[in-house]
Amino acid sequence: MDEHERSEGAPRPLNLAPGTPPVLTLSGICKYFPGVIANEDVSLDVFPGQIHALLGENGAGKSTLMNVVTGLYQPDGGEIIVDGYGVTFAAPDAAIAAGIGMVHQHFKLVSRFTVAENLHLGWSETPRRLSARQIEANARTLSEKFGLAIRPEAVVGTLSAGEQQRVEILRVLSRGARLLILDEPTAVLSPVEVGELFIALRRFRDGGGAVIIISHKLDEIMALTDRVSVLRHGRLVGTHLTASTTPALLVAEMIGRPVTLATSYPRGNEVPVTPSPLVLEEVTARDDGGIIRLEGVTLSLRAGEILGVAGVTGNGQPELAEVLTGLRAPDQGSVALDGVAVKQADPAVFARAGVGHVPEDRLRRALAPSLSVAENAVLREYAQAPIGGRFGFSIVRAREFAQLLADKVGVKLPGAMMPIRGLSGGNQQRLVLEREIRIASRVLVASYPSRGLDIGAIAAMREMLAKARDAGVAVVLMSEDLDEIFALSDRVAVLCAGRLMAVIDRCDADRDRIGALMSGRTQAEAA
Amino acid sequence: MSSSRTRLTVVPTQRILVGRGLALLAALLIVAVTLAAMGRSPITLFGLVMHSTVGSRFGLEDLALFMTPLMLTGAAVWVGIRVNLWNIGAEGQFYAGATAATAVGLFTGLPPALAIPAMIVAGMAAGMAWIFVPAVARAWLGVSEIVTTLLLNFVASLLVYYLATGPWADRVTGALASTERLHVILPDIWGVVHWGFPLAVFTVVVLGVLLARSRFGYETAIAGANPEAARYAGISVAPRVLAVLLLSGGLAGLAGMVEVAGTVHRLQGGIANNYGYLGIVVALLARGSCLSLIPAALLMAFILDTGIVLQTTQISASAVLAITGLLVLAIAVGDELAAYARVKKTS
Ligand SMILES: Nc1ncnc2c1ncn2[C@@H]1O[C@H](COP(=O)(O)OP(=O)(O)O)[C@@H](O)[C@H]1O
Ligand SMILES: [Mg+2]
Repeated sequence: MDEHERSEGAPRPLNLAPGTPPVLTLSGICKYFPGVIANEDVSLDVFPGQIHALLGENGAGKSTLMNVVTGLYQPDGGEIIVDGYGVTFAAPDAAIAAGIGMVHQHFKLVSRFTVAENLHLGWSETPRRLSARQIEANARTLSEKFGLAIRPEAVVGTLSAGEQQRVEILRVLSRGARLLILDEPTAVLSPVEVGELFIALRRFRDGGGAVIIISHKLDEIMALTDRVSVLRHGRLVGTHLTASTTPALLVAEMIGRPVTLATSYPRGNEVPVTPSPLVLEEVTARDDGGIIRLEGVTLSLRAGEILGVAGVTGNGQPELAEVLTGLRAPDQGSVALDGVAVKQADPAVFARAGVGHVPEDRLRRALAPSLSVAENAVLREYAQAPIGGRFGFSIVRAREFAQLLADKVGVKLPGAMMPIRGLSGGNQQRLVLEREIRIASRVLVASYPSRGLDIGAIAAMREMLAKARDAGVAVVLMSEDLDEIFALSDRVAVLCAGRLMAVIDRCDADRDRIGALMSGRTQAEAA
Repeated sequence: MSSSRTRLTVVPTQRILVGRGLALLAALLIVAVTLAAMGRSPITLFGLVMHSTVGSRFGLEDLALFMTPLMLTGAAVWVGIRVNLWNIGAEGQFYAGATAATAVGLFTGLPPALAIPAMIVAGMAAGMAWIFVPAVARAWLGVSEIVTTLLLNFVASLLVYYLATGPWADRVTGALASTERLHVILPDIWGVVHWGFPLAVFTVVVLGVLLARSRFGYETAIAGANPEAARYAGISVAPRVLAVLLLSGGLAGLAGMVEVAGTVHRLQGGIANNYGYLGIVVALLARGSCLSLIPAALLMAFILDTGIVLQTTQISASAVLAITGLLVLAIAVGDELAAYARVKKTS
C-alpha cells in the first residue's frame, strides 16, 4: 500500500450541496484473475447529479470494475457502499434492485421481439395480462419521460446499433436505476447518435441521476462529464474534476507518459508507380437480406497509398470491405485482383494474394473466441512453415508464434493457451491488426481499426498502417473519425447510401467538402 | 474479506481429477447409504462388486469387453462434440457397422487374413453410409444433425431385428433369434478379450494425435468454434462438417464391427446394447481430451459391470440406471466445483 490517492483525497464536485452523500462508494476493491491483477485497491465516490468518466488503457480493468459493481463478479477484496450501506450483489438483479443498472457493449436484447416487448421482459411491473397496444403505450410514456426516442412497435433485430442502445438504456432506467453505467457506449455509434445519447444522459443527470461512462474518446469525456477517474494496470491513479484537467494530463496519467496523436504521417519514400493491386469496376452488391448496399462503385487502389473511406456508418462500408477481401461476390460489375478478373468470391484466394482484413466486428468474424490465443494467432499462417504444412500442424510452434505476435504489439499474455475471449477487446484488436499486417503484402483493408483502442494503442496502430503504406501496401482505412482519415490518407473516398460520391486527393479535401459529400450532395454542389 | 474464490475460465487438469475423485467418493457414499437403508449390507455388496470387476480375472476380462465398444462410440461422439456437432446416432451407425461386418463374415467366404480387414472396412463404410444423409443435410442445408441422426437409430435397430430373425436367421439351431456364428472372428488375446481391445485403444490414441497435430484438426476446430471466422480465413466449412460427421459415423461403425466380430460373434437384435448412447456419456466425461476417452470408457464399463453384478443379487435394473445417473451428476458437479479456486493475493 503506497501513497496513491484514496477517495478522500479526490475533489468533491463543485456544484454539489454540502453534505450530499455519494450514491456509490468503492473502497479498496480488488479483483484477481489467475495470473492477472484486474483491480487492486480501487476507491472512488460517485455522486448524484454527476457524470463520472472512467478512463484507462485497454486491459486497465475498467470493465472488470464495473462488472464487480453490478454483481456480475464478486470482489476479492474491498467494499461496495450504496447510499452509505455496505452491500454485496450476488447477481446483476440485486444491483438493479439497488438502483444500479449497466448497459454493456454487447447488447442483451431479444432480437425477434419488439421494442415494447423487450422493455417489459422480466420486469416486475409488467402487467399480468398483456396487450400489444398497452405495452406500446407504456413504452411511449417511458420514452417521453426519459427523453429517449424509440419506436415501440419495431422489431429489435431491425434496429441500428444506436436505436438498440437507446432501448437498453430505457430498459435500465425504467427499472428505477439511479446510477447508470455505460461501457464504451459510443464505440458503436455514429456521431449524430452520440449527440443524441449525450442529450439523454445530461437530462438524466439534471434529474439527479448518476452516470458512470467508460470511453476512450477524450473529447467526449471533456464535453460530457463532471468528474473523471483514471485506472492504470488495475489501480486507481487519480480522480479529477473534468473542468480542472486537460486531455494531455489525462493521457499522461493513463499511459504513464504523454502521448499525442500525430496529425500527419509523412511517407518515408516516394510512391512507387506500379499497377493497381485491386480494382473495382461498377460494382453493385447486396447484403445478406438482399438489399442493395453498394451501387456502381468504381475504385482503383494504389500500392503504397492509404485510401481513407469517409461516410456515416451504415452507408455500405461493411459490404465494400467484404467485396474488397473476397467475402462477398458483387451482384454486378467486376473485381480485378492484380489485373486478373476474380470470377468467384473466395477469401482464400484474396488472402493468398496478400490481402489482409481487419473486420469491423473482430469477435464475430476475425476470431474464434472460445479457442486459444495461439490458435487464433495463426489463423492466417497455419498452413505455412514452421506452424504447419500440407497436412501437419504444430501447436507448439503456434504458441511461439502467438508469443511473437503479442511481444511485437506489446500485449502481455498470461499464457498463449488461454481462450482469446479472456483478453480485453483492445488487446484482441492489436493482435488481429498485427496478424493481418503480416500477410497483407498487397492490400490491407482496415475497418474502424481504432474502435475500442486506447490512445496509446491508436498511436501504435496508426504507425503500423503508415509503415505498411511505406512498404508498398495499398491500405484502405474505413473510419468514422475524420481526423484519423485526414491524418493518414493520401486520398479520401466518400460513401453515401452505397454510392461513391467522390475520390479526392488529400490536399484538395477539407472538412466542409467531405461533410457535404457524406450527407449526399454531389461533388459539383460540394465544391 | 468475505469471498476470495473466483471461477477459473480454464481449469487445470489436476483440479478436475481431484474434483472428480471426490465426486465419485460422494456418489459411492450415497449408494452405500441407500443400500444400507434397503437393508442390504453395503460392505458385502461392495466386496462382491470389487471381486466381480477389478478383483478377479473374469471381472477384468468383462471390463475390457465392455470398454472396447465404449471407447469407439465415445470417440465417435467426441470427434463431433469437439467441433460442436452432436452425433446422437452412434447407436444406429453401430448397428449398420455390425450388419455390414456380419455380411462379410457370413457370405464372402474370404480367408481370415482378408476377411478381417474387409470387415473393418465394411463396418466403417456402413457407419459412414448411415450418417451420410444427415451429414450432407447438416453441412449444406443446416438441418440439425441431432434429430436426423437420432431418428435413424430406430430404423437401424428394427432393420437388424428383421435381418436376425428373418432372412439371415440361423436355420440350424432354429431359435430364429440371431444369425449363425460368423465364419471369421477376431482372435482372442487374453481370455475372452480379443484384438478389438488393442484396436480400440490404438484408434483413440491415433485419433488424438492426428487431430492435435494435423491441419485437418486445426481447420475443423476453427470451423466448429466460429464458422464465420473460418470463412474469413478461407476455410470452407461445409466439406469439413461432412468429413467430421463421416469420421464419427465410421468410428461408430467400427465399434459395431468389433462387437459382432469379437464379442458376440453373431448378429442379433439389440446387439448395440445402448453403447451408442453411452458413447455420449463417455465423450462428455472425457471433455476436451481424446486420450481421456480411455479412462472414461473404463468408468462406464465399471458402472455397467456393477449393474450386472447387482442385478444378480436381486437389486432391480432401474437401481443401476439410477446409479449411473447419480455418478454422471456427481461428476458434473465435481467439474463445476473444480472451477472455483481460492486466489492468493499477489502483488
Ligand atoms: N474472465 C476473465 N478471465 C481472465 N482474465 C480476465 C477476465 N476478464 C478480464 N480479464 C483480464 O483482466 C484485465 C482487465 O480487463 P478489462 O476489465 O476487460 O479491461 P478494460 O475494460 O479496462 O479494457 C485484462 O488483463 C484481461 O485480460
Ligand atoms: Mg473493457
